[in-house]
Amino acid sequence: MHINQFTEVISACRFCFMCRHLSAVGQAGCREADTPRGRALIADSIRMHPEKIADADFVDTIYRSDLAGSNRFHCDGYHDGKGYDEVGLQLALRRDIVEAGTQPENVKKIADEFEKTADWKVEGAGDVLYFTDRYSQSTPEIAQSFAKLAEKGAVKYRTISGGCIGKVLRVLGYADRSKAVAKKFAAFINGLGAKTLVVSNPAAYDTLVNDYKEYGIELKVKVMHSSEFIANLKLAYKPIKESVGYIESDFLKNYVKNYPYPAELLKQIGAKCEPIGTNIEESYTAGEAAVVLPLLNPTLTGQLAGQVAKSVDNELLLTASPYTRRTLSDANLKVLTLEEFAAQSL
Amino acid sequence: MQLAKDNYMYQMIRCELVDAVGKEFVNSGSADGLGHSVDYYWIPEMWHDRGLEPQKPDFVVHPGSTEEVAKVMKIANQYKIPVTPWGGGSGSQGGALPIYGGIILDMKRMNKVVEIDTRTLSVTCETGINAQHLEWAVEKAGYSTMHFPASIACATIGGFLAHRGTGVLSTKYGKIEDMVMSLEVVTPTGEIINTLPVPRHASGPDLTMLFLGSEGTLGVMTKVTLKIHPVPEARKFHAFLFPDMHSAMTAGAGLMHSRLQPCAIRLYDGPETAKLIKRVLGIDREGAYLVFGFDGPEKIVDLQMERACEICRNANPKEDLGTKSGEAWWNNRYKFFYPPYMFHMPQAFGTLDTVATFGKIENVYWAMKNTVETNFPEATFIGHFSHWYDWGCMLYARFIFEKAPEDPAEAAALYNRVWDMAIRAAIKEGGVINEHHGVGLKLGRLMKELYGPAMHVLEDIKKQLDPNNIMNPGKMGFKGV
Ligand SMILES: Cc1cc2nc3c(=O)[nH]c(=O)nc-3n(C[C@H](O)[C@H](O)[C@H](O)COP(=O)(O)OP(=O)(O)OC[C@H]3O[C@@H](n4cnc5c(N)ncnc54)[C@H](O)[C@@H]3O)c2cc1C
Ligand code: SF4
Repeated sequence: MHINQFTEVISACRFCFMCRHLSAVGQAGCREADTPRGRALIADSIRMHPEKIADADFVDTIYRSDLAGSNRFHCDGYHDGKGYDEVGLQLALRRDIVEAGTQPENVKKIADEFEKTADWKVEGAGDVLYFTDRYSQSTPEIAQSFAKLAEKGAVKYRTISGGCIGKVLRVLGYADRSKAVAKKFAAFINGLGAKTLVVSNPAAYDTLVNDYKEYGIELKVKVMHSSEFIANLKLAYKPIKESVGYIESDFLKNYVKNYPYPAELLKQIGAKCEPIGTNIEESYTAGEAAVVLPLLNPTLTGQLAGQVAKSVDNELLLTASPYTRRTLSDANLKVLTLEEFAAQSL
Repeated sequence: MQLAKDNYMYQMIRCELVDAVGKEFVNSGSADGLGHSVDYYWIPEMWHDRGLEPQKPDFVVHPGSTEEVAKVMKIANQYKIPVTPWGGGSGSQGGALPIYGGIILDMKRMNKVVEIDTRTLSVTCETGINAQHLEWAVEKAGYSTMHFPASIACATIGGFLAHRGTGVLSTKYGKIEDMVMSLEVVTPTGEIINTLPVPRHASGPDLTMLFLGSEGTLGVMTKVTLKIHPVPEARKFHAFLFPDMHSAMTAGAGLMHSRLQPCAIRLYDGPETAKLIKRVLGIDREGAYLVFGFDGPEKIVDLQMERACEICRNANPKEDLGTKSGEAWWNNRYKFFYPPYMFHMPQAFGTLDTVATFGKIENVYWAMKNTVETNFPEATFIGHFSHWYDWGCMLYARFIFEKAPEDPAEAAALYNRVWDMAIRAAIKEGGVINEHHGVGLKLGRLMKELYGPAMHVLEDIKKQLDPNNIMNPGKMGFKGV
């Protein structure tokens, strides 16, 4: 079983309560099982009694997780940068579940649908590639804002639109299929002979930078999140009076580890950033790192978004994540992506 | 109890619970059942580790209001089903375990901050709130609860109230029972009552104190008003190394006798200095590590610090470790409790915490240490003194076996033997069963020995409040079902 590669994590987390306060899903439903400890106990149970991989409530719990990795940020802080990879454990367990064939029907369905979308088309001309994924496409203002900023910076770019580049399959537990899609995307990108690949979605950034590296796939372009690309343009922005709250991306904060460019861009724009909620440790993304949580569990996604709405009092929220932009807008919060905010501030 | 799920009575009771709190808040799934079958007590951890199934609840119920708690209590009384309140499950005494099945009353949904009163300097909140979340909310308003236990992120306020918990700044700000202004409680029969609104009065005996430390056996605490404090301008620490525990204890007692107001004092015995202070703080010395701190207006802090250092210097320390190693302790105070620093399987370990007067505490320490080391030569005994009072201090001792027997029954027997012998040794020398972790399932059997005839008073109160014995039966020395 894949979880056997994570026995150290299981041993550490199964009896540890130290990051339970950061589990957004745990707070949404108040379930003991929806915490790193609760999930590690499940993994441990399955490790000792493999037949329990068919336990529907165990399986459901593992797919409820938002994979936010707040514990990575927290646990690392206390472990000299060597925290326990609870997210890795869950992904391994999802792989085991899929291999045992006990995943829920909708997991299979979502995986199949996304795999079919693994096809991309390119438009325009230029050395820079700009990739818009499903979430970015569902909010056209993001790409429009990017276009405005690129024009201001006199950058010519080609747009790549299309579907899954591997992340959805990976988070659902289909690692091999994820890798196959990743190979296909890498071949497509490498064939375009560009120098830079810009993505608006932190999920895509993490996929291309971390997952591809783990898969041993080489991309012959420099990958940037749009915040880095825009910050590098060093554009002039008009002064801003209103204060904003910036929601950290789970991927950029906890997976890539404190990616500095969103903060740098906000500084360039001159935004007055107010803190979000009561602390810097919790996830306010409403399930960003689970990528397809709204398809898997719309009720839980709604609860997570509702929870964010209750804990933030900022009038305008900014996010690096098109997923969070979409999900929190659906909960009637005023949210813009960094591209949109930067473009509005020109 | 443990009803079969295909039993129609199970379904009947479930329907009533659903009616009381809503469908999504009554759970009997295996995932939550597993989560609630193991708390921070070593025995269920070991049981799970050996591939066995600790006792699970029949229902996990998440009430969203005091009224819903009252409804659940009435249903439980009707059917005589055990109800065990569960906060964060971080209790180390097995207090929240559903040892007879029945209902786990998971309080985490009751997590609202009701009011921050800046004229009184108090906060009123529901008791299911996570202690760290409460602290963050109070900090956002510019104050602090000053309740900083190592389990701040793990536990609920209700859990701390139920165990008379304590935080690292207790020496100045008190244990949780010193922080409470008043309580709202649902009694075992489902009545909602409030204790008096102020903690100091002469209007009869203090009901608040009756419920604090009652570990879910006398009722469910649903709301609390706690004192809050301004965030101090400065907080500073200093550490000394003493040649042995006795000289360090003399210095620590001297600090308390001077009536200075340290916010924290901690004294580690030789073995713990060698083991944990070295491992966590990187201070590799032989002797007893003593650290203390002050907080408040900076000038006052500096003045107190100067006087405190003088007291320590006069007590013949081996080395003045300075401010830096004092600050290092404060900055890493929670690190001790994270894996891999915390003890863990296959080790068997327990925190033998007790409290006694300055006149007796060293004897208590030696009695416990000798008992453990003589009777269990394979065990290590370490200890530190964490919470200090005008009259004495708390001993946080630990025993550690590098490997417990594989057979779960044998492991449990060994474990219980250590507790029985060490706690009896402490009681004999003037200590008590526990200082801030509570009694729970772990130490209930020793309550009669500690209280003597006074245990009847507690038992009579329990009978009166809980005629059907449904509230957390079998805990704190009260009878099981
Ligand atoms: C790593 C770690 C470090 C720790 N450090 C400290 C420390 O520094 N200081 C300290 O005091 N403790 C410490 N503890 C112990 C533990 O956190 C405390 O005992 C805490 O009070 C338990 O709270 P909980 O919410 O987790 O309660 P639980 O474990 O869920 O329950 C404990 C008891 O309280 C009862 N209970 C819970 N809520 C209510 C309620 N609302 N009304 C009535 N009864 C209720 C339960 O039935 C049970 O008997 C530590 C624990 C861990 C895991
Ligand atoms: S991730 Fe770290 S803090 Fe969280 S449960 Fe695991 S070991 Fe504990």
